[in-house]
Amino acid sequence: MEIHRYEKLWFGLSLLLIVGFIGTITYGAVGAGVQMVSDDGGTVEPSFSTINENEKFAQQEDNQAVHVEGNEYEVAVIAQRFSFQPGTGSPIQVPEDSRVTFYVTSPDVIHGFSVVGTNANTMVIPGQIAEITVEFDELDSDEPKEYGVVCHEFCGAGHEEMAGQIQVVPEDQWEGDA
Amino acid sequence: MSSETETTEDGIVREIGHDEFDPVGTLALILIYFVIIGGLWAFMYFVEFLGNGPTVV
Amino acid sequence: MEVFANEYPDEAWVVRAALGSAFVALAIGGLMGLIQTLHRTGFYDSLISNADYYTVLTLHGVAMVLLFTIFFLVGFFQWAITDSLGRKSEDIRITKLWYGMMVLGSAMSAVTILGGFVDSGSLSGVEADVLYTFYAPLEAHPLYYMGLAVFIIGTWIAGFDWFRSWWAWKKENPDERMPLRTFMVLTTMLMWYLASLGVAISVVFFLIPWSLGIFDSVNSLLTRTLFWFFGHPVVYFWLMPVYMMWYVIMPKLAGGRLFSDPLARIVFVLFLVLSVPTGIHHQYVDPGIAEGFKFLAMTNTMFLLLPSLLTAFTVVASIEHGARQRGGEGYFGWLTALPWGKPAFTGMTLAGLMFAAAGFSGMINAGMSINYLVHNTLWVVGHFHMTVGTAVALSIMAATYWFLPKITGREIFSRRLGLAQVLLWFIGMVLMGNAMHRAGLAGVPRRTADPTYDQVIYDGAYGAIGELRFQIALGGVLLSLSLVLFFAHLVLSSFDIGERAAATPDSIPAPLSGPEQAPKVLDNIRLWTSIAVVLILITYILPLASIVTDGGGWLGDSYGVIVAEYVLPAVSSTIDIFVGVVA
Ligand code: HEM
Ligand SMILES: [Cu+2]
Ligand SMILES: [Cu+2]
Repeated sequence: MEIHRYEKLWFGLSLLLIVGFIGTITYGAVGAGVQMVSDDGGTVEPSFSTINENEKFAQQEDNQAVHVEGNEYEVAVIAQRFSFQPGTGSPIQVPEDSRVTFYVTSPDVIHGFSVVGTNANTMVIPGQIAEITVEFDELDSDEPKEYGVVCHEFCGAGHEEMAGQIQVVPEDQWEGDA
Repeated sequence: MSSETETTEDGIVREIGHDEFDPVGTLALILIYFVIIGGLWAFMYFVEFLGNGPTVV
Repeated sequence: MEVFANEYPDEAWVVRAALGSAFVALAIGGLMGLIQTLHRTGFYDSLISNADYYTVLTLHGVAMVLLFTIFFLVGFFQWAITDSLGRKSEDIRITKLWYGMMVLGSAMSAVTILGGFVDSGSLSGVEADVLYTFYAPLEAHPLYYMGLAVFIIGTWIAGFDWFRSWWAWKKENPDERMPLRTFMVLTTMLMWYLASLGVAISVVFFLIPWSLGIFDSVNSLLTRTLFWFFGHPVVYFWLMPVYMMWYVIMPKLAGGRLFSDPLARIVFVLFLVLSVPTGIHHQYVDPGIAEGFKFLAMTNTMFLLLPSLLTAFTVVASIEHGARQRGGEGYFGWLTALPWGKPAFTGMTLAGLMFAAAGFSGMINAGMSINYLVHNTLWVVGHFHMTVGTAVALSIMAATYWFLPKITGREIFSRRLGLAQVLLWFIGMVLMGNAMHRAGLAGVPRRTADPTYDQVIYDGAYGAIGELRFQIALGGVLLSLSLVLFFAHLVLSSFDIGERAAATPDSIPAPLSGPEQAPKVLDNIRLWTSIAVVLILITYILPLASIVTDGGGWLGDSYGVIVAEYVLPAVSSTIDIFVGVVA
């Protein structure tokens, strides 16, 4: 089979492009430290009673991030038709300059958990606990900073109402454990 | 290998066979495409994405 | 030689019927698209309630990407098989049977979707507000899933019908190479058999029994994964007929010849081998699937760029060949020697151009971690309106201007009207597609009746978002106008108005580098299918196993254990049989 030399050149460049793409993503994982949502969060039977008994969800008493150690915090969110708990009623509060792990699950249908304007974005699937860790920087001022959270997967009539907020609170206004 | 075409289309002023044809125009277009894609990829990954923190770590 | 319609009247009837069904779906889908684009941008949201928006969206998705595209495909493939093998259908009753099944299946699903508009009365409870992805535990009426199953079985029989033609032809022509169009049809159908197995298992073994109340629950991640097992390769099912048009019709329209037949075959083989083991790239941000499996799916996906990049070269080179035969000169000057006055050519070229741009946003979607930025935002909607919504839909509309005379025996009504139509679609999609991509980067979610929330500010910039919203609405309106022109044209073409010539038969010119150049092994579709099966097993066995074992069984709860005893053997023996038949 004869292949025109230009076409051979293009074949080579195409492969270069592909390898370059895979290389960039590998750099993102290894160099920049971006992690994918995975099966680390574990599973839980999709019902309120079982979810509330789960260790992570049992420790979530109000809308404040739970302190683990150092600058590490945890927040457990139940996404349900059509609210985030916590998040919708009052904003989820996290301190500035922190490393926060979100555990998100659903007792009913599939939802999304997307922090608007950031790369914190995960599906919420009944039976699975999504685990994502996010770093919030120091704030530029002593005003709290708000991020919107939306459900980005259709979950039934009322889906367009399903949103919440995360509030990054300055160190000196933080009322939770530190 | 200049060969007969069965085409009845109008507008053809010459027959160009397999060995007389080098697709230089195609090569030029596709190289431009390659450069655009490569540049945009880098921009999207390093500026739009990594600059859009917080990111999952 | 005669025009197709006169030479094969029975087959031409089926082709016309299938195209007719496709265009009915396109019309319905288009109307829903217009409603959506105006509703979710807030320009006109009093026509329907927010709740009905999701019924509209379900109808739009199903009508466009399942019915319109696939009905066109079966019609076009029937033509390709009959014309390239030069033989009638082995048994026209079978041909009509599969078409009938597809219509029946569509009607069953359509009724349940439309039931979503009826709030009470005899139809209450018959609804399917689950979108075209029907992620459980969102639940539709059982008829919705059953219709889908009947439709898919129809396509399976169609594939069988075409294989039969090929087997019969082969017996009579034992020493000849498989014609290129036949090769494209058969490799595409093999890919389709592998791919649709995923959704068939999901629907038949899980969703139908569950919606009938036989099971209490399903494993949500499992049915979702099975959907995407099918959901990515299905995009190649939309795309392959279009690739066939680009490889076969475009060079001819440009006054040239296909640059390389062997490369076209290689491209289709690559699609057969690589299309299916990629579906997990739709689940990059799903919990319950380990990162390694996602990386593997990404690698396959990235290599799947190869056939499309090769196609770009081959198709453009074939067109350039035409331009140079028409007297074109220079590095770029030849572009002016192309037949821009033909709507079929101009439409397909614009479609291809948009595909080049959309290919880029697809590369972004494929890049595992960058998915965090765009997943389930309007970016994705922008991406697929430029791919399936333009590369495919516009190519189909454009090719119809070329194709219609073949199957009706009469020329189209007006080239100018055709040109205006394809151009309008392109402009509309530049506006809507571009604005959707940008809105997505600002974080605007897809699949929502109203993307404004008290708690959310997009990008801090109200002005920019307002402008994007306007472009989405305006683009959508232009697209709808373009559809109106298209349908008006079809209607005008079906009457004897004006002085129009009878269609003249024409043939596909021989490629520059012909099939005799292609290694024989390329036609060994058994080999390629076996490789595809092996790759699928490698990419899917482990993630599926862990979803079932960690995620609470086949059904997401303890009932699963009982069912596993008969579902598991059924699934694995289906796979065994398939491998046995193919290998
Ligand atoms: C008149 C032309 C069209 C307009 C105005 C239009 C408009 C829209 C809009 C605004 C959405 C987003 C809805 C949302 O996420 O909330 C949408 C979704 C969609 N469109 Fe279109 N569209 C058109 C044509 C097409 C075509 C030709 C196709 C494919 C062949 C297509 C396939 C889809 C699909 C698959 C979805 C996603 C459905 C879902 O999320 O479940 N559209 N369309
Ligand atoms: Cu939702
Ligand atoms: Cu895909």
